[in-house]
Amino acid sequence: MTAHTALLACSQGQSVKIPRAHRRILSTVTGLVVAALFSLLVILNLLPLIWGMLTSLKGEPDLFRFPPVIFDFTPTLENYQRVIDSGFLGNMRASLVYCVVTVVAALTLALPAAYAFDRFNFPLRQPLFLLIVASIPLSLGAAALLIPNYLYFTKLGLTNAWFTLPLIYTAHQLPMAIWIMKGTLEGIPKELDEAAIADGATHFEVLRHIILPLSRPALGAAGVLTFVGSWNEFVASSVMVDSPGLRPIQPAIYNFIGFFGREWGPLTASAMLAIIPILITFALLGRLIVSGLTKGSVKG
Amino acid sequence: MHSKYAGIHYIVPAFALLTLVLFSPVFYGVWFSLFRIQYGSPTDFAGLDNFRDLLSDPTLPATLHRSAIFTAAAVSITIALSLALAIWIHRLGERRGFLVQIIVIVPWIISTVVATLLFRWVFVNDIGLAGSIARMAGLDDIQMLNNPHSAMALLVAVSVWKRIGYAVIILLAGVKGIPDDYEEAALIDGATPFQIFRRITLPLLKTPLLLVAIVLTLSNLNTVETPLVLTGGGPGDATRILPMDVFDRAFITYDLGSATALALAMFFGNVLLVLAYVRLAKWKT
Repeated sequence: MTAHTALLACSQGQSVKIPRAHRRILSTVTGLVVAALFSLLVILNLLPLIWGMLTSLKGEPDLFRFPPVIFDFTPTLENYQRVIDSGFLGNMRASLVYCVVTVVAALTLALPAAYAFDRFNFPLRQPLFLLIVASIPLSLGAAALLIPNYLYFTKLGLTNAWFTLPLIYTAHQLPMAIWIMKGTLEGIPKELDEAAIADGATHFEVLRHIILPLSRPALGAAGVLTFVGSWNEFVASSVMVDSPGLRPIQPAIYNFIGFFGREWGPLTASAMLAIIPILITFALLGRLIVSGLTKGSVKG
Repeated sequence: MHSKYAGIHYIVPAFALLTLVLFSPVFYGVWFSLFRIQYGSPTDFAGLDNFRDLLSDPTLPATLHRSAIFTAAAVSITIALSLALAIWIHRLGERRGFLVQIIVIVPWIISTVVATLLFRWVFVNDIGLAGSIARMAGLDDIQMLNNPHSAMALLVAVSVWKRIGYAVIILLAGVKGIPDDYEEAALIDGATPFQIFRRITLPLLKTPLLLVAIVLTLSNLNTVETPLVLTGGGPGDATRILPMDVFDRAFITYDLGSATALALAMFFGNVLLVLAYVRLAKWKT
């Protein structure tokens, strides 16, 4: 881009007063700075994952060796075995069920709602939509909402059941899903529905046969963000269910911190097990996450 | 067929769920906070006593003060760094930029519990990687979590590290939306890079910057996990911020009266931020 602008400046008859040798030094310096920044980012962001992975594969003697070894150790799965013996697979199964239910429920509720908000003009449409937009960041304040939520759910007898967490996760993710889909629906020409209606289709048929197929990318983006958000949720998960069989992975890992104490082998093993599904999702659908975030532009 | 209410049934299920989980608990919480609470259930009417007790709680001002410092530091550092990163990534071009972007959001897509745990193990723990390297370099044990100031600094650092990816993506979308001609025209007119940043980039990023600031403030103000996993609120109470305090009151000391009162106060603080958010989001669409 700089070369381009310099060229542009020259063609406009302006002189660019940077001697060539000078410029070469400048670009070397820029290159070094960029490389340094890039390495710093890699160290800060990827090293914890890599080092956590290595730690999780080390047996007791290798773990406490000083100076620490990087590759020169005998990998063992004993940490994973201990975590699994503590029932972590059950927590993973619970999390997986909750997340699948949440993704399906959130998308099933969000698409019709987005359709109604974009294509119809019922009374209070605008204020109700603003309420949805307001609910997006509101669920970030889960800590503040959760005490009243806990009291209310206790009173209604809705805590500590298999549906408790999917219900809460879905409500937290739904506003964002509606917002992302509404944005996509705005881009689908209204003439398509009008033509179908003129041919005798019902509104539901329009939703089913025109809107649904065309909003697949938005469904994907909202689905991925919903999955990641629910898989990673901690606060509601730790408060709303009590029995070990219903406990999802995040509070389970937190309990391990108390249980295993300074035994970082099993701790990192449980962390790795929690990260793997997220990293797979990210590797396959990273672009969808980025586009969903950009469209939704909503959650921290 | 063309009734005034056509289409409204499509939003009913969504609103039913939101009412059950998000909206009614607020009203129930307000109602609940007006009673004296014993063994988790409301007994006799107490009016505003719970709030009065809360205000006279001697630990509250210090907790509020710590929360304000933590949130202000975390939000401002995150915004400054993410703005620089977004502009840098934009200049890297499409493919290299996407790679950097992916690396930047890795801590964001991992749960706060796990990310904080790994950060602590690698960069903070005395037998972790950074601790071992420090010892190999002949430095004494640096026990960052034992000193109130460094513990707070570390809490801010983890929060910035965890949340910066989100900010970068939103700001990058904003930076990409600025037409290249603006910068080129300014360059031809002899503007310096700083002038371009100050007079073109910054004003055109106003909306995404404010949006990011609000979302970051909300998420830092309400984070339970970061201090819980990193410091447990310690040393002493040095990193005990508001949401952790609410949780301890509710589930450790079972003081549901003051917990509810404090949670509601936080909630209405959040609502103010959300109102600002809605104004911006509306403007954006």
